[in-house]
Amino acid sequence: MSQLLTKQGLTSVALLIGLLTSVINPAGAETHFSTELRPLLISHCGDCHSGDAAEGGIAFDHYSDSANVQKDFELWEKVIRLIKERQMPPADAAELEAETLQKMISGIEYELSQFDCSEINRPGQVTIRRLNKAEYNNTVRDLTGLDLRLADDFPSDDVGNGFDNIADVLSLPPVLLEKYLQAAENISDAIWEDEEIRRRVFPVESKNETPEAKIAAATENIKLFTRKAFRRPVRQEELARLFQIMRSAWEQDASELEIMKTVTTAVLANPNFLFRIEDDSFPNQDIGSTRALNGFELASRLSYFLWSSMPDERLFHLAEQNQLQDPAVLEAETKRMLQDPKARALVDNFAGQWLQLRDVERLSPDPKLFPNYSKALAGSMRQETELFFSAIIDQDRSILEFLNGDYTYVDERLASHYGMEGVEGEAFRRVSLNGGQRRGILTHASILTLTSNPTRTSPVKRGKWILENILNEPPPPPPSDVPDLEEGGETLGTLREQMEQHRANPSCASCHRTMDAIGFGLENFDAVGVWRDHDGKEFIDASGQLPGNKKFQGAGELMEILTDEKKVAFARCLTEKMLTYALGRGLVSFDRCAINDAVAALKRNDYRFSVMVTSIVTSDPFMMREVSEQ
Amino acid sequence: MSIEANSVNRRAVLRGIGLSIGLPWMESLAPAAVKSTGGDSNPTKRMAFLFVPNGVHLPDWTPNQFGYGYDLPHILQPLKNVQDDLMVISGLTHDKGRANGDGAGDHARSASVFLTGAQPRKTNGSDIRSGVSVDQMAAAIAGNQTRFASLELGCEPGRSAGNCDSGYSCAYSSNISWSSESSPVGKETNPRFVFERLFGSGKTKERDQQAEKRKLLKKSILDFVLDDAKSLQTRLGKNDQQKLQEYLNGVREIERRIELSNQKPDLNTDLNYPTPAGIPSDYGEHIRLMCDMMVLAFQMDRTRIASFMLADAGSNRSYRQIDVADGHHDLSHHRGDAGKHAKIREINRYHVQQLAYFLEKLKQTPDGPNSNLLDQSMICYGSAISDGNRHNNENLPVLLAGSGGGTIDSGRHLQVDSETPMCNLFMSMLQKFDTPVDYIGDSTGTLNQLTI
Repeated sequence: MSQLLTKQGLTSVALLIGLLTSVINPAGAETHFSTELRPLLISHCGDCHSGDAAEGGIAFDHYSDSANVQKDFELWEKVIRLIKERQMPPADAAELEAETLQKMISGIEYELSQFDCSEINRPGQVTIRRLNKAEYNNTVRDLTGLDLRLADDFPSDDVGNGFDNIADVLSLPPVLLEKYLQAAENISDAIWEDEEIRRRVFPVESKNETPEAKIAAATENIKLFTRKAFRRPVRQEELARLFQIMRSAWEQDASELEIMKTVTTAVLANPNFLFRIEDDSFPNQDIGSTRALNGFELASRLSYFLWSSMPDERLFHLAEQNQLQDPAVLEAETKRMLQDPKARALVDNFAGQWLQLRDVERLSPDPKLFPNYSKALAGSMRQETELFFSAIIDQDRSILEFLNGDYTYVDERLASHYGMEGVEGEAFRRVSLNGGQRRGILTHASILTLTSNPTRTSPVKRGKWILENILNEPPPPPPSDVPDLEEGGETLGTLREQMEQHRANPSCASCHRTMDAIGFGLENFDAVGVWRDHDGKEFIDASGQLPGNKKFQGAGELMEILTDEKKVAFARCLTEKMLTYALGRGLVSFDRCAINDAVAALKRNDYRFSVMVTSIVTSDPFMMREVSEQ
Repeated sequence: MSIEANSVNRRAVLRGIGLSIGLPWMESLAPAAVKSTGGDSNPTKRMAFLFVPNGVHLPDWTPNQFGYGYDLPHILQPLKNVQDDLMVISGLTHDKGRANGDGAGDHARSASVFLTGAQPRKTNGSDIRSGVSVDQMAAAIAGNQTRFASLELGCEPGRSAGNCDSGYSCAYSSNISWSSESSPVGKETNPRFVFERLFGSGKTKERDQQAEKRKLLKKSILDFVLDDAKSLQTRLGKNDQQKLQEYLNGVREIERRIELSNQKPDLNTDLNYPTPAGIPSDYGEHIRLMCDMMVLAFQMDRTRIASFMLADAGSNRSYRQIDVADGHHDLSHHRGDAGKHAKIREINRYHVQQLAYFLEKLKQTPDGPNSNLLDQSMICYGSAISDGNRHNNENLPVLLAGSGGGTIDSGRHLQVDSETPMCNLFMSMLQKFDTPVDYIGDSTGTLNQLTI
C-alpha cells in the first residue's frame, strides 16, 4: 500500500482506509484482540515493543483490532514461544504474574487458532532423508527376502522432535558410510549364498548359455533390482553407468558372480538407495512453488510411514498407473497397509518413541527396593503396551481407549506383578480390568516405571510426562531462581505436603497445579507400577482437582476426566506426534490446518485410529512439497 | 548392449575406473603428508578428548596448592601414579554453554559446546547447528597422515526416543565431535566394531592377486556412487546438499584409506590383542576397553586423534558397582545435600579411575626409543558444566595429561584468569599438535601458561 502514499493521494487513501476499516469493523465494535489481548501486551510489553524503534522489530501498537494472523502468524508463533519459555519479558523487567502470563498465552493461542486455512497452501519442506536403522533393516528385508538386521550394528540415529526419523537430524558420519559399504557387500554375498533368495532377487533366467543371452538376462535383472532399490523407475543414463561397471569388472577378468555382486553392491551403497530423495529438478519447478508428489514419491512416503520400509509391488504398480494421488485410492491403500503384518513397524517405531517404550528395558530401578524387578519383567511391561497399541491398530479402535481402555494384555509374570490371579504361562492374553483403578496406558507399568526415579515415584515427572506426551501442553521451564522443591529435605512432611507448600508460591502454582494433580492421581502406583495403599507409613491420598473444578479420587476417575474433558487435546496431541513422524520434520505453524482437519475427522468418526492415519496421508503436507531453494 | 562391443575401449574403461599407475587419483596420494613415526626431531603427537557429564563436585576435585607438587583431592586420588604427567587446569570457561538468551537446556549445550566453543542453535529437529570441534579441526589438517583421520567413541548410544533436553535435539546431547557446523560425528559404542574397523576382522587374507582385483572392483563402486552423489548435489536443495556432502566426505575418506593401504602395508603381525567380544555388561570394563582401543590405535598409528564420551550429557546412569543406586543426573541436582555430594564425588572418582587406567596404559606403551605414548600425547579430560546443581559454565573441571612431545610442562596445578575461554586451551593444543588455526569457537588467544 505504501506506493499509493503519494502526496496527492495521501488524504484520499487515508479516508479510504478509514472507510474500509469501519465497514469491516464498525467503530466501537470490540474484538477479542482489542479487548483481551492488546491491553495486556501494551501495558506489559509496550515499553520496549512499540513504535518505530521497537525491540526486535516487534511493535504491538501496530495492531489495533486484529493480530493479523493470516499474514503475521510467524511473528505470533515467536512471541508465544518466547513467553512460554520465559524468555520474555526479560529478566530485568517486572516479572509477569502467573495469571497474566496464562491470559496472555491463551489470548495469543486464540488469535492463532483463527488462522484461515482455506487461504494458504504451504505443505512445508522436507530434507532428503537417510534411512534410519529400522528402515534400513526393513528395506533390505523387503528388497531381498533376507532378514539380516545389519543395521543393528550401525551407530544409533540421533533423535529430533522426539523421533529418530527426522531428516535434518539424520547425519552421516564417515564410520556409518563405511558400514553402509560393508553392509552392501555382505548383502550382495548373502544373495548368492541362497539359491531361493537369488531367484527372488534376480528372477530373469538366461535363455541359453550364449554370452548374449546371459548378458541380456543380467541386464534385465539389474534393471529390476535397481528400480526396487531406488524405489522409482531407473533413468537411462543410470542404467548405462551400471552397465559400465559390469563392463569394467569384466575387463578385470571378474567372474559372472563377481560382476553381479559388484553391481549389487554399487546399487546398495548408492545415495539413491540410502536416502529417500524427492527430486524437484525434473519437473523443473520454481523455487517456493508447491507441487504434488509423483506416485513413486508418495508410495515411499506411505510405506516408510506405515511400514518403515520400501513400497511393495502393489504400491509400485499404483504409482506407475498414476492412481496413488487419488485420495480414495490412498485411503484404501492406507487401510490395507494398516492390516498388513508390516504395520508392526508403527508399534516399534512410532509407539516405541511416542511412549518411549524403547527405553523401558534400559531402566534400572533400585534392586534393593524393587527386588522383583528384572529385565524379563521390563520386557513384559513393554510388550503389554505394544500389544495394546497393536490392538488399537488391528481392530481400528478409538484412540480414546489409550486413556480409558478397560482391558489390557498380560502374561503370567506381569499379571503377578499386578496382583492378578489366574493368568499362567508366557503367552500374553487380553484381560478385562473390570472397572478398577488401572485403565488405559497411563496405568501400564511400562509408563509408570519410565516416569519414576530409580528409588521412588516422582509425581512431577509423571505429571510433566503426561502434559508433554498426552495433552501437548508442555509446561515452561521453571523460573531460574526457584529450586526443585520436590528434592527438598525429607523433614518437611509427606511428598504431597511438600508439594502443597510448593504451590503456595504463585510463580510455581500456575504450572504445578495441573502437573502435580495428575501426578498425585497416580501415586497409588509405585516406581515400578505396583499397586500400593501406603508409601512407607503414610496412607496415599490420590485425590485431586483439575482446572474447571473437576475433582477426582484416584487414577480411575482421573482417567475418566481426562477422557471426557481432554479428548480433543489428546486427539490433537497424538495427531501432531504422528504427523511429525509421518513427515520426518518438525511441525510449523501452517501445519495446524492439516491437524485441524484430522481432529475434526476424528470427532466425526468415533476417534477411530485409521481415521487419524488416513487424514494424515491425504493432507497437503503429506501429498505435496514445497520446491526447495538451491 | 553387449559387453564385447565395447571391449576395444579397454583403455577408456580403465581410465574411467582410475586403474593404471600415473592417473590423477593415484598421483594425488603422493606421500608428502605421511611421516615416519619416532626418532625424528618432530615426533608423532597424539591427542584425545574425554567427556564426562553433569559436572563434578569441585571441592573434592580442585587441588589446594598450585604449581608442581600439588595435592590430589579425593576425586583425583586415583591419578597419583601419573601425577607428574598431569596438569590440573582451574578457571576455564565455556561461555557458549550458557543460555545467552536461549533458556533451559544446559546439558545439551554442555556436550555440544565441549569441543566446539560454539553456541548451539536451539532446535529440536530442523537445521541443527553448532561449530567445528577441536578434534575435527586437527583431523581436517593432519588426519590424512593416518588410515583413520580420527576416532569418535562413546559408551552410551544416545536416547532412542523422546526429548533429550528442553527443546534441543538429542544430536546435541550425544555428540561432542562436529565435522562441520551442521554435522555431528556419530560415535561408536561397541569395542568390537572399533577393533575390527581399526585392525580388520582377522579373516585370512586372500591371495594378493585376488585382493588387488577386489580393490579395483571396490574402486569402481566408489566412483559410481560418488558420481551419483555429485549429480544429486547439483540438483537438490540447500539442506539436501549438506546431507550429500556428508556422504561425499565419507566416500572420499574410504578412497583415501584404500590409497594409503597401498603404500603402507598392514602392521597387524605384532598386534597381540584379542578381538573384544562386544559391549561388556560392566560399565568400567566398557570404558577401559574403549581406552584400550585408543591406546592400540595410537600405538599402531591407525589414527592420532580421538574423542570419547564416557557418558552422554545429562546421563542418568546409576552406579551400583560403587553402591550408588540413584541416577547420576538426578543426584547432580543435589541442592547442597551432603549425602548427595558424597555420592556424586564417588561417581566422579570412578570416572577418574578409568582415566588413570588409560593414562597409565599410555605411559607403559613405548613410542620411539626413549619415549612413551603418554609423553607424546595431549589428553584433555573434563566436563563443560562445573557444578551439576547450578549448571554453571565457568571454573570448569579440566585435566590435561601428557606432555605433547615435550611441548607441555606437566605435573602442575594451573589457575587461569577467570572467564578464560576453554577454547584458548584448544588453540594451544592445536598449535602444539602442529595444526594451528586462526581461532576456534570463542577463543581469544592461546594459553601460554602450559610451558614454564
